Amino acid sequence: MENQQNKKYGEFGGQYVSESLMNTLAELEQAYREAIADDSFWEEYNYYMKEYVGRENPLYLAKNLSAKYGPKIYLKREDLNHTGAHKINNVIGQILLAKRMGKKKVIAETGAGQHGVATATGAALFGMECTVYMGAEDIERQKLNVFRMEMLGAKVVSVTSGSSTLKDATNEAIRIWAKQAEDTFYVIGSAVGPHPYPEMVKEFQRIISKEAKAQCLEKEGRLPDTVIACCGGGSNSIGMFAEFIDEPQVELIGVEAAGLGIETGKHASAMALGNPGVLHGMRSYLLQDDNGNVQIAHSISAGLDYPGIGPEHAYLRDTGRVEYVSITDSECIDALLELCRVEGIIPAIESAHALAYAFKKAKTMKPDDVMIVCLSGRGDKDVHTVAQYLEGKDMNK
Amino acid sequence: MMNRIEHRMQELQQNKEKALITYMTAGLPDMEKTVEIIKEQANAGIDVIELGVPFSDPIADGPVIQDASYRSIQNGTSLVKVFAAVEQVRKDCEVPLIFMMYYNTILHYGVEAFVKKCREVGVDGLIVPDLPYEEQYELKAYLTEESPILIQLVSPVSKGRIPKLVKDAKGFIYCVSSMGVTGQGADFHANVNQYLKEVKAAADIPVMMGFGIRTAKDVEQQKETIDGAIVGSAFIKLMEENQYDARAIADYIRKFKAELNA
Repeated sequence: MENQQNKKYGEFGGQYVSESLMNTLAELEQAYREAIADDSFWEEYNYYMKEYVGRENPLYLAKNLSAKYGPKIYLKREDLNHTGAHKINNVIGQILLAKRMGKKKVIAETGAGQHGVATATGAALFGMECTVYMGAEDIERQKLNVFRMEMLGAKVVSVTSGSSTLKDATNEAIRIWAKQAEDTFYVIGSAVGPHPYPEMVKEFQRIISKEAKAQCLEKEGRLPDTVIACCGGGSNSIGMFAEFIDEPQVELIGVEAAGLGIETGKHASAMALGNPGVLHGMRSYLLQDDNGNVQIAHSISAGLDYPGIGPEHAYLRDTGRVEYVSITDSECIDALLELCRVEGIIPAIESAHALAYAFKKAKTMKPDDVMIVCLSGRGDKDVHTVAQYLEGKDMNK
Repeated sequence: MMNRIEHRMQELQQNKEKALITYMTAGLPDMEKTVEIIKEQANAGIDVIELGVPFSDPIADGPVIQDASYRSIQNGTSLVKVFAAVEQVRKDCEVPLIFMMYYNTILHYGVEAFVKKCREVGVDGLIVPDLPYEEQYELKAYLTEESPILIQLVSPVSKGRIPKLVKDAKGFIYCVSSMGVTGQGADFHANVNQYLKEVKAAADIPVMMGFGIRTAKDVEQQKETIDGAIVGSAFIKLMEENQYDARAIADYIRKFKAELNA
């Protein structure tokens, strides 16, 4: 156990937390290892994935897009999950683990509110007390999701420290966890945080690529040529890549948010400048200023508006296994509207980043080539943001 | 030359006295005043000063120090400026100084360059609350006899980890009184007395208690076990309430020390 704890992805990952959390993390790791080695744990997880979340979801061949852009473009429809995104896969996994560990309360951080809603949903399902930490600024921007969480019985706590956004909500959740770890489980929403969280989130999101791989083999009789997913903290992308990482012929591309453009400094692309740092218990690429203070990310997508990225992505970047690119706010909105009009699907702004790059990439591919894009969430939550953007009002700071 | 912290701790032990350590965020109300306050505390008999190098995301700190860090960064405080302030202090003051800071600030500066600069300007110790034992190897690789010492933190839930944590510890052991963050008031962990005794038995260097301590009375029950107290959030509040008045600061330190050693 000792050598598994503190696991690093090359120089990335680790457990940069206070001493009072070290035993908590060790207990979590032990419970997690026991759970994933136990068939009955996965039986229960798979039961809820099928009966509650509505999996498996389709690997949909977007015929109109394919005809227009060249290669066969498949969409992995995570947007069709209960609660409207991939977040629920991880939440169910972590809450089942919390239940196994005998915890009665869960806490979570949320930016846009999607992970908060998913956690509130899981907590309601399993009868747990749920508190969600959310930046005061995000509460203002995402009122509807705050109301959703409250309807589901969760308590939403406004965080007013620092920049009052996701990174500060995460700090606050870690502080509260350090205080209450004896009876509280911290459900982290992305592939970030101290070990074993990044690995745990990957394993609970792996179902995305497990299904996609089997579906692709069934439909095409072979693996895809290219797989594309968006990256904020990187949970849908690590889940989408997981089963393909050891298939070297499959090209993997992660798409970060370039906001107003990398050159403007107003972006959320932690990897673009390649500056490693330590935040939220992990070592990874991190947006920071000249003094080593964390910089505020900027993206039209609240879900990608995070200054760091999961440590395994940092490792996959450095080893060259995954290529990371970025897409600006305006490119993303164009792609979002394109999917609405051509396929009749309203994607989440996050997922539209992956689509925008997919359209660029498609131009370099042949008609027989196969591409999978992870459609990580549906866009109902973003309709207001898109409308404001189109009216020329940029509400994102 | 012997490390200033170790030297002071030895002196206190010989005199059978207990230590008082205060925490202040560098750059508040400004850097010039920070230098003055350090010297004023030294004159008032403070044993060791923890100087906080502010970081944007202080996950181990409660609201008071979070807010102080935020304001200090707004004032333009940086590690480079804090180093310059220490240089100023060292012109005529030998009070033991510890940097309390988060690991990203060190990483960003460069670990090797950071340790070298600490040695040059006269920083005696380091407290890095987000760098637990298992992650310390990278920093320790650059620590020598002449460099600052790395202070080990122990928590009420460290339990089986205690022997490992105290084994090679230097200067003193920093015992956290409660779980969670700094400045929660004297709401100590239920098993605090037993845990302090356990650490004391395992350690051959002084054991200091911190987090949530406001006055010497707060540690009345633990006084027999511990070798001193660390005051952070309460000291910051006191300074602010008294507009950083030198007399109020000196009075607080003298009173605390007298009561602690009564």
